[in-house]
Amino acid sequence: MTFTGTMTVLWYSALPWLWLIALMIIVFLVPQIIARTKGYGFGEKGGMGSKYLPPLFFVLSLFLLPIHTQSTIAYVNTWVDWMNLIGASIGVGIYAWLVFHPICYLRNRKA
Amino acid sequence: MSKFSLPFESVSRRNLLKLGAGAGVMGPLTLGATAAKAVNTNAHVVIVGAGAGGTSMASRLTHALNGAKITVIDSRERHYYQPGWTLVASGVWDKSKTISDTQEWMPRSVNWIKGMVAEYDPDNNRVVLETGDSVDYDYLIVATGLQLRYERIEGMDTNLIGQGKGVGSVYAGVDQAEKTNEEISRWIDSGQGTGLFNLPPTALKCAGAPLKMTFTTLSRLEDSGQRDNFNVEFMTPSGRLFGVEFYNQFVKQRFEEQGVKRNDHWTLKAIDADAKKATYSVKNGQDQVKDYDFIHVVPPMTAPESILNSPLVNQEGESFATWMKVDRETLQNPDYPNVWGIGDVMGMPSNKTAASVKMQARVLEENIVAYLQDQPLPAKHNGYTSCPLITSIGKAMLVEFGWNGELLPSFSFIDPKEESWTVWVMKERMLRPAYYAMLEGKI
Repeated sequence: MTFTGTMTVLWYSALPWLWLIALMIIVFLVPQIIARTKGYGFGEKGGMGSKYLPPLFFVLSLFLLPIHTQSTIAYVNTWVDWMNLIGASIGVGIYAWLVFHPICYLRNRKA
Repeated sequence: MSKFSLPFESVSRRNLLKLGAGAGVMGPLTLGATAAKAVNTNAHVVIVGAGAGGTSMASRLTHALNGAKITVIDSRERHYYQPGWTLVASGVWDKSKTISDTQEWMPRSVNWIKGMVAEYDPDNNRVVLETGDSVDYDYLIVATGLQLRYERIEGMDTNLIGQGKGVGSVYAGVDQAEKTNEEISRWIDSGQGTGLFNLPPTALKCAGAPLKMTFTTLSRLEDSGQRDNFNVEFMTPSGRLFGVEFYNQFVKQRFEEQGVKRNDHWTLKAIDADAKKATYSVKNGQDQVKDYDFIHVVPPMTAPESILNSPLVNQEGESFATWMKVDRETLQNPDYPNVWGIGDVMGMPSNKTAASVKMQARVLEENIVAYLQDQPLPAKHNGYTSCPLITSIGKAMLVEFGWNGELLPSFSFIDPKEESWTVWVMKERMLRPAYYAMLEGKI
Protein backbone atom coordinates (compact mmCIF):
# COMPACT_ATOMS: atom_id res chain seq x y z
CA MET A 1 0.00 0.00 0.00
CA THR A 2 1.24 3.50 -0.83
CA PHE A 3 2.15 6.06 1.82
CA THR A 4 -0.80 8.21 0.73
CA GLY A 5 -3.12 5.22 0.95
CA THR A 6 -1.85 4.33 4.41
CA MET A 7 -2.29 7.92 5.63
CA THR A 8 -5.81 8.02 4.18
CA VAL A 9 -6.77 4.82 5.99
CA LEU A 10 -5.25 6.12 9.24
CA TRP A 11 -7.20 9.35 8.88
CA TYR A 12 -10.48 7.52 8.25
CA SER A 13 -9.72 5.23 11.21
CA ALA A 14 -9.12 8.23 13.47
CA LEU A 15 -12.37 9.97 12.49
CA PRO A 16 -14.63 8.27 15.06
CA TRP A 17 -12.13 9.08 17.80
CA LEU A 18 -11.56 12.77 17.13
CA TRP A 19 -13.69 13.69 20.15
CA LEU A 20 -11.49 11.51 22.39
CA ILE A 21 -8.31 12.98 20.94
CA ALA A 22 -9.70 16.48 21.55
CA LEU A 23 -10.66 15.54 25.13
CA MET A 24 -7.19 14.11 25.77
CA ILE A 25 -5.56 17.29 24.47
CA ILE A 26 -7.71 19.36 26.84
CA VAL A 27 -6.93 17.07 29.79
CA PHE A 28 -3.24 17.42 28.92
CA LEU A 29 -3.25 21.18 28.37
CA VAL A 30 -5.33 22.38 31.36
CA PRO A 31 -3.01 21.20 34.18
CA GLN A 32 0.06 22.08 32.07
CA ILE A 33 -1.07 25.68 31.56
CA ILE A 34 -2.23 26.20 35.16
CA ALA A 35 0.98 24.70 36.57
CA ARG A 36 3.22 26.69 34.20
CA THR A 37 1.66 29.95 35.40
CA LYS A 38 2.90 28.91 38.83
CA GLY A 39 6.46 28.17 37.85
CA TYR A 40 6.16 24.55 36.70
CA GLY A 41 8.59 22.99 34.25
CA PHE A 42 9.21 19.37 33.22
CA GLY A 43 12.32 19.34 35.40
CA GLU A 44 10.41 20.27 38.56
CA LYS A 45 9.73 17.76 41.30
CA GLY A 46 6.35 16.10 40.89
CA GLY A 47 5.40 13.76 43.66
CA MET A 48 4.42 10.20 44.52
CA GLY A 49 1.51 10.26 42.09
CA SER A 50 3.58 11.17 39.08
CA LYS A 51 6.15 8.61 40.12
CA TYR A 52 3.89 5.59 40.46
CA LEU A 53 0.81 6.28 38.32
CA PRO A 54 2.51 6.38 34.88
CA PRO A 55 4.15 2.95 35.33
CA LEU A 56 0.84 1.66 36.68
CA PHE A 57 -0.96 2.98 33.58
CA PHE A 58 1.71 1.38 31.40
CA VAL A 59 1.24 -2.04 32.99
CA LEU A 60 -2.56 -1.78 32.96
CA SER A 61 -2.47 -0.83 29.29
CA LEU A 62 -0.61 -4.00 28.43
CA PHE A 63 -3.68 -5.93 29.55
CA LEU A 64 -6.49 -3.48 28.83
CA LEU A 65 -5.58 -2.50 25.26
CA PRO A 66 -6.10 -6.04 23.90
CA ILE A 67 -9.33 -6.32 25.89
CA HIS A 68 -10.47 -2.98 24.45
CA THR A 69 -10.06 -4.54 20.99
CA GLN A 70 -12.13 -7.57 22.08
CA SER A 71 -9.00 -9.70 22.23
CA THR A 72 -6.64 -10.80 24.97
CA ILE A 73 -2.94 -10.47 25.77
CA ALA A 74 -2.70 -14.24 25.17
CA TYR A 75 -3.16 -13.53 21.44
CA VAL A 76 -0.33 -11.00 21.29
CA ASN A 77 1.99 -13.26 19.38
CA THR A 78 4.32 -11.75 16.77
CA TRP A 79 7.09 -9.23 17.29
CA VAL A 80 4.90 -6.68 15.50
CA ASP A 81 2.11 -7.38 18.01
CA TRP A 82 4.47 -6.84 20.94
CA MET A 83 6.00 -3.75 19.38
CA ASN A 84 2.53 -2.27 18.83
CA LEU A 85 1.29 -3.17 22.29
CA ILE A 86 4.40 -2.01 24.15
CA GLY A 87 4.56 1.14 22.01
CA ALA A 88 0.94 2.01 22.71
CA SER A 89 1.37 1.28 26.42
CA ILE A 90 4.48 3.47 26.61
CA GLY A 91 2.41 6.19 24.94
CA VAL A 92 -0.27 5.82 27.61
CA GLY A 93 2.40 5.93 30.33
CA ILE A 94 3.98 9.11 28.90
CA TYR A 95 0.56 10.72 28.58
CA ALA A 96 -0.22 9.83 32.20
CA TRP A 97 3.07 11.41 33.29
CA LEU A 98 2.34 14.59 31.28
CA VAL A 99 -1.02 14.90 33.05
CA PHE A 100 -0.11 13.81 36.58
CA HIS A 101 3.27 15.49 36.89
CA PRO A 102 1.91 19.09 36.82
CA ILE A 103 -1.05 18.08 39.00
CA CYS A 104 1.29 16.61 41.61
CA TYR A 105 3.49 19.69 41.36
CA LEU A 106 0.49 21.91 42.15
CA ARG A 107 -0.53 19.70 45.08
CA ASN A 108 2.99 19.76 46.54
CA ARG A 109 3.16 23.51 46.11
CA LYS A 110 -0.08 23.97 48.06
CA ALA A 111 1.15 21.69 50.80
CA MET B 1 -23.95 0.05 18.56
CA SER B 2 -21.32 -2.39 19.75
CA LYS B 3 -20.90 -2.59 23.47
CA PHE B 4 -17.36 -1.33 22.94
CA SER B 5 -18.16 1.39 20.46
CA LEU B 6 -18.62 5.01 21.37
CA PRO B 7 -21.36 7.48 20.49
CA PHE B 8 -19.48 9.33 17.77
CA GLU B 9 -18.88 6.10 15.85
CA SER B 10 -22.36 6.43 14.38
CA VAL B 11 -21.76 9.94 13.07
CA SER B 12 -21.80 10.18 9.28
CA ARG B 13 -18.32 9.77 7.82
CA ARG B 14 -19.09 12.40 5.22
CA ASN B 15 -20.04 14.91 7.93
CA LEU B 16 -16.86 14.21 9.80
CA LEU B 17 -14.87 14.68 6.62
CA LYS B 18 -16.27 18.17 6.45
CA LEU B 19 -14.09 18.99 9.43
CA GLY B 20 -11.43 21.31 8.25
CA ALA B 21 -8.64 19.49 10.02
CA GLY B 22 -9.03 16.43 7.86
CA ALA B 23 -9.31 18.35 4.66
CA GLY B 24 -6.24 20.34 5.54
CA VAL B 25 -4.14 17.29 6.27
CA MET B 26 -5.35 14.92 3.61
CA GLY B 27 -6.63 17.15 0.86
CA PRO B 28 -3.35 17.77 -0.91
CA LEU B 29 -2.42 14.12 -0.60
CA THR B 30 -5.62 12.55 -1.84
CA LEU B 31 -7.12 14.92 -4.34
CA GLY B 32 -4.12 16.28 -6.17
CA ALA B 33 -3.24 13.14 -8.07
CA THR B 34 -6.68 12.47 -9.56
CA ALA B 35 -7.50 16.10 -10.37
CA ALA B 36 -4.27 16.45 -12.34
CA LYS B 37 -5.08 13.69 -14.82
CA ALA B 38 -8.78 14.42 -15.51
CA VAL B 39 -9.77 13.77 -19.13
CA ASN B 40 -12.34 15.85 -21.04
CA THR B 41 -15.17 13.80 -22.54
CA ASN B 42 -18.92 13.96 -23.04
CA ALA B 43 -19.31 10.18 -22.87
CA HIS B 44 -22.20 8.59 -20.99
CA VAL B 45 -20.88 6.00 -18.55
CA VAL B 46 -23.50 3.72 -17.02
CA ILE B 47 -22.59 1.77 -13.89
CA VAL B 48 -24.95 -1.05 -12.96
CA GLY B 49 -24.79 -1.58 -9.21
CA ALA B 50 -24.08 0.73 -6.27
CA GLY B 51 -22.19 -1.73 -4.12
CA ALA B 52 -18.47 -1.56 -3.38
CA GLY B 53 -17.38 -1.75 -7.04
CA GLY B 54 -20.04 0.51 -8.53
CA THR B 55 -19.71 3.22 -5.90
CA SER B 56 -15.92 3.33 -6.00
CA MET B 57 -15.98 3.54 -9.80
CA ALA B 58 -18.54 6.35 -9.67
CA SER B 59 -16.27 8.25 -7.26
CA ARG B 60 -13.12 7.59 -9.27
CA LEU B 61 -14.61 8.45 -12.65
CA THR B 62 -16.18 11.62 -11.26
CA HIS B 63 -12.64 12.84 -10.55
CA ALA B 64 -11.01 11.29 -13.63
CA LEU B 65 -13.45 12.50 -16.29
CA ASN B 66 -14.41 16.11 -16.99
CA GLY B 67 -17.81 16.55 -18.62
CA ALA B 68 -18.81 12.89 -18.65
CA LYS B 69 -22.34 11.92 -17.69
CA ILE B 70 -22.16 9.17 -15.09
CA THR B 71 -25.30 7.18 -14.30
CA VAL B 72 -25.55 4.58 -11.54
CA ILE B 73 -28.45 2.10 -11.61
CA ASP B 74 -29.40 0.38 -8.36
CA SER B 75 -32.56 0.29 -6.27
CA ARG B 76 -30.84 -0.26 -2.92
CA GLU B 77 -31.24 2.67 -0.53
CA ARG B 78 -28.92 1.09 2.02
CA HIS B 79 -25.25 0.32 1.61
CA TYR B 80 -23.89 -2.59 3.64
CA TYR B 81 -20.33 -3.10 4.76
CA GLN B 82 -20.53 -6.82 4.07
CA PRO B 83 -17.01 -7.73 5.29
CA GLY B 84 -18.32 -6.88 8.79
CA TRP B 85 -21.10 -9.44 8.72
CA THR B 86 -18.89 -12.25 10.07
CA LEU B 87 -18.25 -10.04 13.10
CA VAL B 88 -22.01 -9.43 13.45
CA ALA B 89 -22.75 -13.15 13.18
CA SER B 90 -20.04 -13.86 15.76
CA GLY B 91 -21.48 -11.44 18.31
CA VAL B 92 -18.51 -9.06 18.08
CA TRP B 93 -20.22 -6.17 16.27
CA ASP B 94 -23.66 -4.68 16.39
CA LYS B 95 -25.22 -4.74 12.94
CA SER B 96 -25.57 -0.94 12.88
CA LYS B 97 -21.81 -0.72 12.29
CA THR B 98 -22.29 -2.20 8.82
CA ILE B 99 -25.22 -0.08 7.60
CA SER B 100 -25.12 3.29 5.86
CA ASP B 101 -27.16 5.08 3.21
CA THR B 102 -26.25 4.57 -0.43
CA GLN B 103 -26.81 8.28 -0.98
CA GLU B 104 -24.06 9.04 1.53
CA TRP B 105 -21.41 7.61 -0.80
CA MET B 106 -22.83 8.67 -4.15
CA PRO B 107 -20.95 11.60 -5.72
CA ARG B 108 -23.32 14.56 -6.11
CA SER B 109 -22.77 14.91 -9.84
CA VAL B 110 -23.81 11.30 -10.49
CA ASN B 111 -27.26 10.56 -11.91
CA TRP B 112 -28.65 7.80 -9.68
CA ILE B 113 -31.50 5.76 -11.20
CA LYS B 114 -33.26 3.84 -8.43
CA GLY B 115 -34.12 0.74 -10.39
CA MET B 116 -32.81 -2.66 -11.41
CA VAL B 117 -31.53 -3.80 -14.78
CA ALA B 118 -33.59 -6.63 -16.25
CA GLU B 119 -31.88 -6.96 -19.60
CA TYR B 120 -28.52 -6.19 -21.19
CA ASP B 121 -28.47 -5.30 -24.89
CA PRO B 122 -24.79 -4.69 -25.63
CA ASP B 123 -25.33 -4.87 -29.39
CA ASN B 124 -27.35 -1.67 -29.12
CA ASN B 125 -25.40 -0.17 -26.19
CA ARG B 126 -28.36 -0.08 -23.84
CA VAL B 127 -29.76 -1.72 -20.73
CA VAL B 128 -33.44 -2.24 -20.01
CA LEU B 129 -34.79 -1.69 -16.53
CA GLU B 130 -37.42 -3.79 -14.75
CA THR B 131 -39.82 -0.92 -15.37
CA GLY B 132 -39.36 -1.35 -19.12
CA ASP B 133 -37.43 1.90 -19.49
CA SER B 134 -34.16 1.66 -21.34
CA VAL B 135 -30.92 3.52 -20.70
CA ASP B 136 -28.40 4.07 -23.51
CA TYR B 137 -24.72 4.19 -22.78
CA ASP B 138 -21.37 4.76 -24.41
CA TYR B 139 -19.52 2.74 -21.78
CA LEU B 140 -20.98 0.18 -19.39
CA ILE B 141 -19.54 -1.01 -16.10
CA VAL B 142 -21.22 -4.08 -14.66
CA ALA B 143 -20.91 -4.06 -10.87
CA THR B 144 -24.01 -5.98 -9.89
CA GLY B 145 -22.46 -8.33 -7.39
CA LEU B 146 -23.74 -11.89 -7.38
CA GLN B 147 -26.86 -13.85 -6.69
CA LEU B 148 -27.25 -16.14 -3.68
CA ARG B 149 -28.97 -19.34 -4.77
CA TYR B 150 -30.50 -20.61 -1.52
CA GLU B 151 -33.32 -22.12 -3.59
CA ARG B 152 -30.88 -24.72 -4.89
CA ILE B 153 -30.82 -26.26 -1.40
CA GLU B 154 -34.12 -28.07 -1.02
CA GLY B 155 -36.06 -26.94 2.04
CA MET B 156 -33.82 -23.94 2.63
CA ASP B 157 -35.42 -20.55 3.08
CA THR B 158 -33.66 -17.54 4.57
CA ASN B 159 -36.82 -16.93 6.64
CA LEU B 160 -35.81 -20.01 8.67
CA ILE B 161 -32.82 -18.11 10.05
CA GLY B 162 -33.54 -16.91 13.57
CA GLN B 163 -36.67 -19.06 14.02
CA GLY B 164 -35.02 -21.16 16.73
CA LYS B 165 -34.56 -24.03 14.31
CA GLY B 166 -30.78 -23.89 14.37
CA VAL B 167 -30.39 -22.49 10.85
CA GLY B 168 -27.87 -19.70 10.26
CA SER B 169 -26.22 -18.06 7.27
CA VAL B 170 -23.91 -15.08 7.37
CA TYR B 171 -24.41 -14.40 3.65
CA ALA B 172 -28.16 -13.81 3.58
CA GLY B 173 -28.09 -10.24 4.87
CA VAL B 174 -27.20 -8.20 7.92
CA ASP B 175 -30.43 -9.08 9.75
CA GLN B 176 -29.80 -12.74 9.08
CA ALA B 177 -26.20 -12.34 10.26
CA GLU B 178 -27.54 -10.97 13.55
CA LYS B 179 -30.03 -13.84 13.78
CA THR B 180 -27.25 -16.32 13.00
CA ASN B 181 -25.48 -15.01 16.09
CA GLU B 182 -28.67 -15.59 18.10
CA GLU B 183 -28.96 -19.14 16.78
CA ILE B 184 -25.33 -19.87 17.69
CA SER B 185 -25.87 -18.39 21.16
CA ARG B 186 -28.97 -20.56 21.64
CA TRP B 187 -27.02 -23.64 20.58
CA ILE B 188 -24.15 -22.86 22.96
CA ASP B 189 -26.59 -22.14 25.80
CA SER B 190 -28.20 -25.55 25.23
CA GLY B 191 -24.92 -27.04 26.43
CA GLN B 192 -24.52 -29.75 23.79
CA GLY B 193 -25.20 -30.86 20.23
CA THR B 194 -23.86 -30.97 16.71
CA GLY B 195 -22.96 -28.00 14.53
CA LEU B 196 -22.54 -28.41 10.77
CA PHE B 197 -20.55 -25.85 8.79
CA ASN B 198 -20.54 -25.89 5.02
CA LEU B 199 -18.87 -24.73 1.84
CA PRO B 200 -20.86 -24.42 -1.41
CA PRO B 201 -20.13 -26.26 -4.68
CA THR B 202 -19.65 -22.95 -6.54
CA ALA B 203 -17.34 -19.95 -6.39
CA LEU B 204 -18.27 -17.80 -3.41
CA LYS B 205 -17.76 -14.29 -2.18
CA CYS B 206 -15.49 -13.81 0.80
CA ALA B 207 -14.33 -17.40 0.55
CA GLY B 208 -12.89 -17.22 4.06
CA ALA B 209 -16.24 -16.40 5.69
CA PRO B 210 -17.37 -20.01 6.18
CA LEU B 211 -14.03 -20.73 7.89
CA LYS B 212 -14.26 -17.57 9.99
CA MET B 213 -17.74 -18.55 11.17
CA THR B 214 -16.38 -21.96 12.18
CA PHE B 215 -13.39 -20.51 14.02
CA THR B 216 -15.35 -17.82 15.87
CA THR B 217 -17.96 -20.40 16.90
CA LEU B 218 -15.18 -22.71 18.12
CA SER B 219 -13.81 -19.76 20.06
CA ARG B 220 -17.19 -19.23 21.71
CA LEU B 221 -17.60 -22.94 22.42
CA GLU B 222 -14.20 -23.05 24.08
CA ASP B 223 -15.02 -19.93 26.12
CA SER B 224 -18.21 -21.64 27.34
CA GLY B 225 -16.03 -24.22 29.10
CA GLN B 226 -18.10 -27.07 27.63
CA ARG B 227 -16.31 -27.65 24.32
CA ASP B 228 -16.26 -31.41 24.83
CA ASN B 229 -20.07 -31.54 24.86
CA PHE B 230 -20.27 -30.22 21.29
CA ASN B 231 -19.60 -31.97 17.99
CA VAL B 232 -18.46 -29.68 15.17
CA GLU B 233 -18.24 -30.88 11.57
CA PHE B 234 -17.16 -29.11 8.39
CA MET B 235 -18.32 -30.17 4.91
CA THR B 236 -16.32 -29.46 1.75
CA PRO B 237 -17.70 -30.22 -1.74
CA SER B 238 -14.24 -30.06 -3.32
CA GLY B 239 -12.17 -31.61 -0.58
CA ARG B 240 -10.33 -28.32 -0.08
CA LEU B 241 -10.76 -25.72 2.61
CA PHE B 242 -8.85 -22.86 1.01
CA GLY B 243 -7.50 -22.08 -2.45
CA VAL B 244 -3.95 -21.37 -1.30
CA GLU B 245 -2.17 -24.57 -0.29
CA PHE B 246 -0.43 -23.16 2.79
CA TYR B 247 -3.72 -21.97 4.31
CA ASN B 248 -5.50 -25.13 3.18
CA GLN B 249 -3.02 -27.19 5.21
CA PHE B 250 -3.07 -24.71 8.09
CA VAL B 251 -6.86 -24.87 8.46
CA LYS B 252 -6.85 -28.67 8.11
CA GLN B 253 -4.32 -28.94 10.91
CA ARG B 254 -6.13 -26.41 13.07
CA PHE B 255 -9.42 -28.25 12.60
CA GLU B 256 -7.72 -31.44 13.75
CA GLU B 257 -6.28 -29.69 16.81
CA GLN B 258 -9.66 -28.19 17.66
CA GLY B 259 -11.60 -31.39 17.20
CA VAL B 260 -13.48 -30.47 14.03
CA LYS B 261 -14.48 -33.50 11.95
CA ARG B 262 -14.02 -32.88 8.22
CA ASN B 263 -16.29 -34.50 5.63
CA ASP B 264 -14.67 -34.02 2.24
CA HIS B 265 -16.68 -34.10 -0.99
CA TRP B 266 -19.96 -33.58 0.83
CA THR B 267 -22.37 -31.06 -0.71
CA LEU B 268 -25.42 -29.78 1.12
CA LYS B 269 -28.47 -30.55 -1.03
CA ALA B 270 -31.43 -30.34 1.36
CA ILE B 271 -32.40 -29.44 4.87
CA ASP B 272 -35.44 -30.34 6.95
CA ALA B 273 -35.51 -27.47 9.41
CA ASP B 274 -38.33 -28.89 11.56
CA ALA B 275 -36.58 -32.24 11.99
CA LYS B 276 -33.13 -30.59 12.09
CA LYS B 277 -31.73 -32.92 9.45
CA ALA B 278 -29.39 -32.05 6.57
CA THR B 279 -29.00 -34.18 3.45
CA TYR B 280 -25.68 -34.27 1.65
CA SER B 281 -24.71 -35.65 -1.71
CA VAL B 282 -21.39 -37.45 -1.39
CA LYS B 283 -18.99 -37.86 -4.29
CA ASN B 284 -18.87 -41.49 -5.38
CA GLY B 285 -21.24 -42.50 -2.62
CA GLN B 286 -24.80 -42.48 -1.37
CA ASP B 287 -26.52 -39.44 0.04
CA GLN B 288 -25.97 -38.97 3.76
CA VAL B 289 -28.37 -37.50 6.30
CA LYS B 290 -26.98 -35.68 9.32
CA ASP B 291 -28.78 -34.54 12.45
CA TYR B 292 -27.80 -31.10 13.63
CA ASP B 293 -28.51 -28.58 16.35
CA PHE B 294 -26.98 -25.74 14.39
CA ILE B 295 -26.18 -25.54 10.70
CA HIS B 296 -24.34 -22.74 8.90
CA VAL B 297 -25.65 -22.71 5.35
CA VAL B 298 -23.53 -21.25 2.55
CA PRO B 299 -25.59 -21.09 -0.64
CA PRO B 300 -24.40 -21.76 -4.18
CA MET B 301 -23.67 -18.48 -5.95
CA THR B 302 -23.91 -17.30 -9.56
CA ALA B 303 -24.01 -14.03 -11.44
CA PRO B 304 -27.46 -12.37 -11.31
CA GLU B 305 -30.19 -13.71 -13.58
CA SER B 306 -30.05 -10.63 -15.84
CA ILE B 307 -26.38 -11.36 -16.59
CA LEU B 308 -26.98 -15.10 -17.01
CA ASN B 309 -29.58 -14.30 -19.69
CA SER B 310 -27.34 -11.83 -21.49
CA PRO B 311 -24.56 -12.08 -24.09
CA LEU B 312 -22.14 -10.89 -21.40
CA VAL B 313 -21.95 -14.24 -19.60
CA ASN B 314 -19.36 -16.97 -20.05
CA GLN B 315 -20.98 -19.72 -22.09
CA GLU B 316 -21.29 -23.38 -21.08
CA GLY B 317 -17.96 -25.08 -21.61
CA GLU B 318 -15.98 -21.88 -21.01
CA SER B 319 -14.16 -21.29 -17.74
CA PHE B 320 -16.34 -19.73 -15.07
CA ALA B 321 -19.65 -20.38 -16.80
CA THR B 322 -22.47 -18.61 -14.90
CA TRP B 323 -20.24 -15.60 -14.36
CA MET B 324 -19.63 -12.46 -16.43
CA LYS B 325 -17.05 -12.75 -19.19
CA VAL B 326 -14.10 -10.40 -18.75
CA ASP B 327 -10.41 -10.42 -19.46
CA ARG B 328 -9.10 -11.13 -15.97
CA GLU B 329 -6.26 -8.64 -16.33
CA THR B 330 -7.90 -5.68 -18.11
CA LEU B 331 -11.46 -6.32 -16.77
CA GLN B 332 -12.79 -5.64 -20.27
CA ASN B 333 -15.41 -7.83 -21.94
CA PRO B 334 -13.65 -9.39 -24.95
CA ASP B 335 -16.81 -9.41 -27.11
CA TYR B 336 -18.01 -5.90 -26.30
CA PRO B 337 -14.96 -3.69 -25.63
CA ASN B 338 -17.03 -0.81 -24.22
CA VAL B 339 -18.32 -3.13 -21.49
CA TRP B 340 -16.32 -3.66 -18.34
CA GLY B 341 -16.74 -5.55 -15.10
CA ILE B 342 -15.77 -5.13 -11.48
CA GLY B 343 -16.35 -7.13 -8.32
CA ASP B 344 -18.15 -10.36 -7.53
CA VAL B 345 -19.99 -10.66 -10.86
CA MET B 346 -16.85 -11.41 -12.86
CA GLY B 347 -15.74 -14.89 -13.80
CA MET B 348 -12.33 -15.31 -12.25
CA PRO B 349 -10.79 -17.44 -9.51
CA SER B 350 -11.32 -16.01 -5.99
CA ASN B 351 -11.42 -12.21 -6.26
CA LYS B 352 -14.87 -11.87 -4.75
CA THR B 353 -13.85 -9.65 -1.86
CA ALA B 354 -13.87 -5.92 -1.10
CA ALA B 355 -10.07 -6.02 -1.11
CA SER B 356 -10.16 -7.27 -4.71
CA VAL B 357 -12.50 -4.43 -5.62
CA LYS B 358 -10.00 -1.95 -4.21
CA MET B 359 -7.34 -3.22 -6.62
CA GLN B 360 -9.73 -3.70 -9.54
CA ALA B 361 -11.08 -0.14 -9.24
CA ARG B 362 -7.65 1.36 -9.84
CA VAL B 363 -7.04 -0.94 -12.84
CA LEU B 364 -10.47 -0.23 -14.28
CA GLU B 365 -10.14 3.54 -13.91
CA GLU B 366 -6.77 3.57 -15.69
CA ASN B 367 -7.99 1.30 -18.49
CA ILE B 368 -11.27 3.11 -19.12
CA VAL B 369 -9.53 6.48 -19.20
CA ALA B 370 -6.97 5.08 -21.67
CA TYR B 371 -9.70 3.46 -23.79
CA LEU B 372 -11.55 6.78 -23.96
CA GLN B 373 -8.41 8.29 -25.47
CA ASP B 374 -7.84 5.40 -27.89
CA GLN B 375 -4.70 4.41 -26.05
CA PRO B 376 -3.56 0.87 -25.21
CA LEU B 377 -4.87 -0.41 -21.89
CA PRO B 378 -2.05 0.22 -19.42
CA ALA B 379 -3.18 -1.52 -16.24
CA LYS B 380 -3.35 -5.21 -15.44
CA HIS B 381 -5.10 -6.79 -12.47
CA ASN B 382 -2.70 -9.16 -10.70
CA GLY B 383 -5.47 -11.16 -9.09
CA TYR B 384 -4.93 -9.57 -5.70
CA THR B 385 -7.39 -10.59 -3.07
CA SER B 386 -7.25 -10.44 0.68
CA CYS B 387 -8.92 -12.17 3.58
CA PRO B 388 -8.10 -11.42 7.20
CA LEU B 389 -8.66 -15.01 8.26
CA ILE B 390 -10.06 -14.86 11.78
CA THR B 391 -8.78 -17.94 13.60
CA SER B 392 -10.37 -17.05 16.93
CA ILE B 393 -12.20 -14.04 18.33
CA GLY B 394 -9.18 -11.81 18.98
CA LYS B 395 -6.62 -13.01 16.44
CA ALA B 396 -6.33 -13.37 12.67
CA MET B 397 -3.96 -13.96 9.76
CA LEU B 398 -3.57 -11.44 6.95
CA VAL B 399 -4.03 -13.63 3.88
CA GLU B 400 -3.23 -11.77 0.65
CA PHE B 401 -2.64 -13.49 -2.66
CA GLY B 402 -2.91 -13.17 -6.42
CA TRP B 403 -3.33 -15.47 -9.41
CA ASN B 404 -2.12 -19.03 -8.75
CA GLY B 405 -2.09 -18.47 -4.99
CA GLU B 406 1.08 -16.38 -5.03
CA LEU B 407 1.31 -14.49 -1.72
CA LEU B 408 1.18 -10.69 -2.14
CA PRO B 409 1.69 -9.18 1.34
CA SER B 410 0.94 -5.44 1.56
CA PHE B 411 3.05 -4.93 4.66
CA SER B 412 6.54 -6.38 4.76
CA PHE B 413 6.53 -6.39 8.55
CA ILE B 414 3.38 -8.54 8.87
CA ASP B 415 4.03 -12.26 8.44
CA PRO B 416 1.13 -13.62 6.36
CA LYS B 417 1.66 -17.06 7.86
CA GLU B 418 1.36 -16.05 11.52
CA GLU B 419 -1.75 -15.51 13.62
CA SER B 420 -1.64 -12.03 15.04
CA TRP B 421 -3.41 -9.60 17.34
CA THR B 422 -2.36 -6.71 15.09
CA VAL B 423 -4.18 -8.27 12.13
CA TRP B 424 -7.26 -8.71 14.31
CA VAL B 425 -7.12 -5.02 15.22
CA MET B 426 -6.81 -4.19 11.52
CA LYS B 427 -9.86 -6.31 10.75
CA GLU B 428 -11.89 -5.02 13.66
CA ARG B 429 -10.88 -1.35 13.60
CA MET B 430 -9.23 -0.35 10.33
CA LEU B 431 -10.68 -2.23 7.39
CA ARG B 432 -14.08 -0.56 7.65
CA PRO B 433 -12.52 2.93 7.40
CA ALA B 434 -10.36 1.63 4.53
CA TYR B 435 -13.50 0.36 2.81
CA TYR B 436 -15.19 3.75 3.14
CA ALA B 437 -12.07 5.47 1.79
CA MET B 438 -12.30 3.07 -1.16
CA LEU B 439 -15.95 3.96 -1.78
CA GLU B 440 -14.93 7.60 -2.01
CA GLY B 441 -12.16 6.73 -4.45
CA LYS B 442 -9.45 7.83 -2.04
CA ILE B 443 -7.49 4.56 -2.08
